[in-house]
Amino acid sequence: MAEFKLPANSKVNKHGRVFKAPDGAKHVRRFRIYRYDPDSGENPRIDTYELDMDSCGPMVLDALIKIKNEIDPTLTFRRSCREGICGSCAMNIDGHNGLACICASDDIDGDVRISPLPHRPVVKDLVPDLTDFYAQYASIKPWLQTRTPAPPDRERLQSKADQQKVDRPSACILCACCSTSCPSYWWNSDRYLGPAALLAAYRWIVDSRDEATGERLDELEDPFRLYRCHTIMNCTEACPKDLNPAQAIGEIKQMLVRRRY
Amino acid sequence: MADGASGRMRSPLGQVTGLGSAKDGTSHWWAQRLTAVALVPLAGWLVIAALAQPDLGYATVHAWLARPVDAFLAALCVVVLAVHSSLGTAVIVEDYVHGRAAKLLTLIALRFAHVLIGAAGVFAILRLSMGTLGS
Repeated sequence: MAEFKLPANSKVNKHGRVFKAPDGAKHVRRFRIYRYDPDSGENPRIDTYELDMDSCGPMVLDALIKIKNEIDPTLTFRRSCREGICGSCAMNIDGHNGLACICASDDIDGDVRISPLPHRPVVKDLVPDLTDFYAQYASIKPWLQTRTPAPPDRERLQSKADQQKVDRPSACILCACCSTSCPSYWWNSDRYLGPAALLAAYRWIVDSRDEATGERLDELEDPFRLYRCHTIMNCTEACPKDLNPAQAIGEIKQMLVRRRY
Repeated sequence: MADGASGRMRSPLGQVTGLGSAKDGTSHWWAQRLTAVALVPLAGWLVIAALAQPDLGYATVHAWLARPVDAFLAALCVVVLAVHSSLGTAVIVEDYVHGRAAKLLTLIALRFAHVLIGAAGVFAILRLSMGTLGS
């Protein structure tokens, strides 16, 4: 059966450490952060960090960096661009998947709860193992496939209208917020490709320059790869780039019907 | 998917591509939607027609289903409902039952059960419709 409970070694311990705010701090917020160290042999725990927000940047990532620099250097997380374009700092913040760098601490009520992206193996603390996620992306062959050689003197032409079809899906940064928010992906990520890989597949299916559209649809036409999508739409809700994987998947399903009739 | 130790040693891409695409699923998905659309008027008719009866005793239902159009619509509703339920419950099993043997056995049992229910329903309606009262 699908696993609805965490394995015994993944259950979160009640007693995490608490790091008090410095004396005299006026504007204190508590960050409750999931901690897991595979080398310790201990179960995960939730540590609480009290921060003086008067000396902290506005975004959740600013708080994480402040904690790592000034309070607890063992806190482990991925980050790079700090402006929502690299997708590294994807995590579950206050119950929603999102990017810590473009999520303001002020937009969250009460304690700021932070955990890794759901339902992935945890490498350490807030770092999930996305190996399968990247393999799923690779499996849809995310590159232009053609048999017609490119014109010798110029690029392959595309109308503005056709370019606009790939503009939005091309903006995906592969942060995995969508796929890891999808219940179908939770239960069947070994066979369901998930919204991110399907959005990427759609990006190449609607590219007017690509000549492998039929083969791409053939590869997706599968009860698990594509049809595990039950239009739950958590993906679209979660996407920090405001993309619409659910619509892309719906249009792939429509194309599969259209080519039959 | 490959299972066990060989699965873990296989490359991530090899695991994802697995046994390849089944090149199937669209018929199932399309049939599920078509039966859903068909059930909107059919199920609506069934509920309204049943509520319009003075009671649901044997004699009343017999008189109701003795009318050919009503018997036909009722039988059609049972068949479409059985097909729709068969398709839908199969999806639920594929979602949540992961053991290969358990999944296959559940899918087979469900398919048999739906054929049984559909056939029994149609038989019962035909018998009510064509039999004489009290037979």
